[in-house]
Amino acid sequence: MEKWECMVCGYIYDPAQGDPSRGIPPGTPFEDLPEDWTCPDCGATKDMFEKV
Amino acid sequence: MNRYVIIGNGVAGVTAAQSIVRAQPGADLHIYAAEPYPYYRRPQLPDYIAGIVAEAAIFYRPPEWYEQQGIHVHLNAPVVELDPSAYRLRLAGGTSVPYDRLLLATGGLAWVPPIEGADQRGVFTLRTLDDARAIRQFAQFVRQGVVIGGGLLGLETARALRALNLEVTVLEFAPYLMPRQLDREGAAVLEGLLRQMGIQAVTGAVSEAILGDGSVRAVRLKDGREFPADLVVCSTGIRSEVTLARQAGLTVARGVVVDEHLQTSAPDVYAAGDVAEAGGIVYGIVPAAIEQARAAATNMVTPGSITYSGTLPVTTLKVVGAELTSLGECVAEGDDLLQLRRADLQNGRYRKLALRDGRIVGAILLNEREHISPIRQLMESGTDVSAWADLLMEENPDWNRIR
Ligand SMILES: Cc1cc2nc3c(=O)[nH]c(=O)nc-3n(C[C@H](O)[C@H](O)[C@H](O)COP(=O)(O)OP(=O)(O)OC[C@H]3O[C@@H](n4cnc5c(N)ncnc54)[C@H](O)[C@@H]3O)c2cc1C
Ligand SMILES: [Zn+2]
Repeated sequence: MEKWECMVCGYIYDPAQGDPSRGIPPGTPFEDLPEDWTCPDCGATKDMFEKV
Repeated sequence: MNRYVIIGNGVAGVTAAQSIVRAQPGADLHIYAAEPYPYYRRPQLPDYIAGIVAEAAIFYRPPEWYEQQGIHVHLNAPVVELDPSAYRLRLAGGTSVPYDRLLLATGGLAWVPPIEGADQRGVFTLRTLDDARAIRQFAQFVRQGVVIGGGLLGLETARALRALNLEVTVLEFAPYLMPRQLDREGAAVLEGLLRQMGIQAVTGAVSEAILGDGSVRAVRLKDGREFPADLVVCSTGIRSEVTLARQAGLTVARGVVVDEHLQTSAPDVYAAGDVAEAGGIVYGIVPAAIEQARAAATNMVTPGSITYSGTLPVTTLKVVGAELTSLGECVAEGDDLLQLRRADLQNGRYRKLALRDGRIVGAILLNEREHISPIRQLMESGTDVSAWADLLMEENPDWNRIR
C-alpha cells in the first residue's frame, strides 16, 4: 500500500501502521481515512497529502 | 483575463496559488517572494537544525515544478510598496507590477520583547531557513545554549540544540510550561521528559538582560539569577508582518483585518495566513493558513463565493517527541469539575480527565496515544462515567467495559 506525505510538515502516513491516536487501525489505505482526518503532526487536512 | 498576484511564498501563498490554477487553468499568476528559496516547510526547521533532515528534504518541490503548474515565482523579490487605488505594487528594484486581484500572504516575524543586549553576536530568532542555517552554523562551535520562551517552538528549538550536543536551558516566563495545553501536574511530567533529554526548564523566569561584550555570555533574570550562554535563541512570539499593509493604508489590528471572504479593507486585496486577522484572531498555525488560503483563492477567482468561519484549534501537538492532546475544558478549574489525574513520571505519561456531572468535558493526554480515541468518544457521546472513576485511571483501561 502507498505511503502519503504531508506537504506541510513532512509527516508520512504509513497504511501499515494506521493512526492509532484517531482509532485508525493498521492496514487502512490513505484513501479510506475519514475526510476530516488531519495530519497528526501539524493538523493539515487530507488534501495536503501527496503520494510518496 | 484577470492577473493574480500573491505576495509571499509560505504555505498560505503557495496553497492559494495551487487553488487558483486548479480553479482556472492557465490563469495569469505571479508570486513575489522576499526569501531566495522556493517554498519550504517551516515546521521542519528544528529538525534541520538538529541534523535529522537534510536541507534538500525541507523543500516541497523543485523550482521547475511551479512553472510547470503555471505558477510564476519571483524569488528574492520583496514588495516594498502597495497602492490599492492604482492596483499596483512596487518591487525593491523599482519595478512596478499591476494586478487585478491581490493576496497578501506575508506571514509573520519573530518578535522579541525589549531585552537589553539582544543585539549581540550569538543571539538568534528562528523563523526562516536563513535563521536556521545561522543557528546550525554557530552551534557547531559552542557549548551552552539558552532558549528564551518555553512554548512549542522554544521547546522544539531546545531539542534541536540538544541534538547538537549543547547544554540547553529553557527560560519560561509562565509559572509552568505550555499553560494553554497543560495543567501544572502535566507540565511537571513534560519537564521530566525534558530532563531525561538533558534539557533544563526554568519556569517563572523573567529574562531581563542578555549579558556580554558584543558576544553573548549569559542571560540574567529579573530575580538576579544568571544562566551562562554562548548561544541564545529568543522564542518569545510571532507578530504578523503588516509593514506593507500599513503603508498601503489597509485596516490593521494585530494582523491585517479581513472579512468573512478574506478580503481586506481594500477592494480586490485579500489576506491569508499568519498575516491575517480573521474574526479577531491571528491563528499563527498551518491548518488555518491553508483553510484561509483556499477560501481567499476561491473568492479571488469568483468574488464572494466562499465564507470562512474560523479554524478549529489543533488538539494534538508533538512536543519534543511526546504526543500531547488537549481536549475540551482541558485547563479549566472550578468546584463543579472533578479532576482525575494519573502521572507516570518514569514513562513520561500523563492523563487528566475533567468530569462535570459525571461526564468527561476535558482531557489532557501526554503520551497516551492509544487512549485518545476512546476518551474522545466518551466525551462526544456524553456518557456518564461516574461509576468508573477507578477504571478511568488504570494504566490500560478496558474501555469496552464502559457502556
Ligand atoms: C520553526 C517553526 C516551526 C513551526 N511548527 C509548526 C507546526 O508544527 N504546526 C503549525 O501549525 N505551525 C507551525 N509553525 C507556524 C507555521 O510555520 C506558520 O503558521 C506558517 O508558516 C504560516 O504561513 P504563511 O504562509 O502565512 O507565512 P510564512 O510561512 O511566514 O510565509 C510568508 C512569506 O512571505 C514573505 N514576505 C513577507 N513580506 C514580504 C514582502 N513584502 N514581499 C515579498 N515577500 C514577503 C516572507 O519572506 C515569507 O517567506 C512553525 C513555525 C516555525 C517558525
Ligand atoms: Zn503535517
